[in-house]
Amino acid sequence: MRAPGRAPAQPDWVEVGVVGAPVGVRGAMRIMPFTANPEDIVSYGPVHAGPGGPALALTLARVEAKGVVARARGIQDRDAAARLRGTRLYVPRAALPPTEPETYYHHDLIGLDAETPDGRVVGTVVAVVNHGAGDVLEIAVAGRASHAVAFTRAFVPVVDLAARRVVIDPAALDEGDA
Amino acid sequence: MARSVWKGPFVDGYLLKKAEAARSSQRKEVIKTWSRRSTILPQFVGLTFSVYNGLKFLPVIVTENMVGHKFGEFSPTRTFHGHSGDKKAKRA
Repeated sequence: MRAPGRAPAQPDWVEVGVVGAPVGVRGAMRIMPFTANPEDIVSYGPVHAGPGGPALALTLARVEAKGVVARARGIQDRDAAARLRGTRLYVPRAALPPTEPETYYHHDLIGLDAETPDGRVVGTVVAVVNHGAGDVLEIAVAGRASHAVAFTRAFVPVVDLAARRVVIDPAALDEGDA
Repeated sequence: MARSVWKGPFVDGYLLKKAEAARSSQRKEVIKTWSRRSTILPQFVGLTFSVYNGLKFLPVIVTENMVGHKFGEFSPTRTFHGHSGDKKAKRA
């Protein structure tokens, strides 16, 4: 199992998918998208093979259960597509459209410092999950298991992306009495 | 097999008491519980529970459409975090 939500190593680049097996003999390839809607992988402009790597202009062929099938400009045969297998695809963070108020990209939240209202840093946001009961921030606290905090105004009153911090209400950290 | 209707929904007694205390106190608090088997009742709507999944407590903010489900359904014991990609979170 993957380690719980690592902080993005490249904050200016968003990982949107990974290239899988080639499909057919004309350079099409299967891509496993990490976007909320699979077809959105082609909606942010050319994707890059690695952060800051060469650009690939993708054309979507079809959406499948295991991902999408796409073709890249300049990839004309199966061997060329096979060489890209395993390549992680990125788009610049600036290519993502602005969000609605009170809505944040997971990419922006992961890696923020979690602080108490008095400014004490208690940990780092390592993941954002939703198990059907609202969005939850996972806060990694040094020396213990990660802590889950409901992403609500009551428990997370401040989200300051510029200062790279969120403020956590101490009530959310105490979790009430047993 | 479904539970008999005449029995009513199952809720651990201590959880019901803690929920009633939280409702009457009107304070912003999280009710910590290990009772994954308890049914979510209409009087729990609006409260925040913290449900144990065997490793840690996950917050569960009860809404109307969760009534009738069990707490454990919202605190999975196996978690794959996936990739962030372009996914968004809305602050409630």
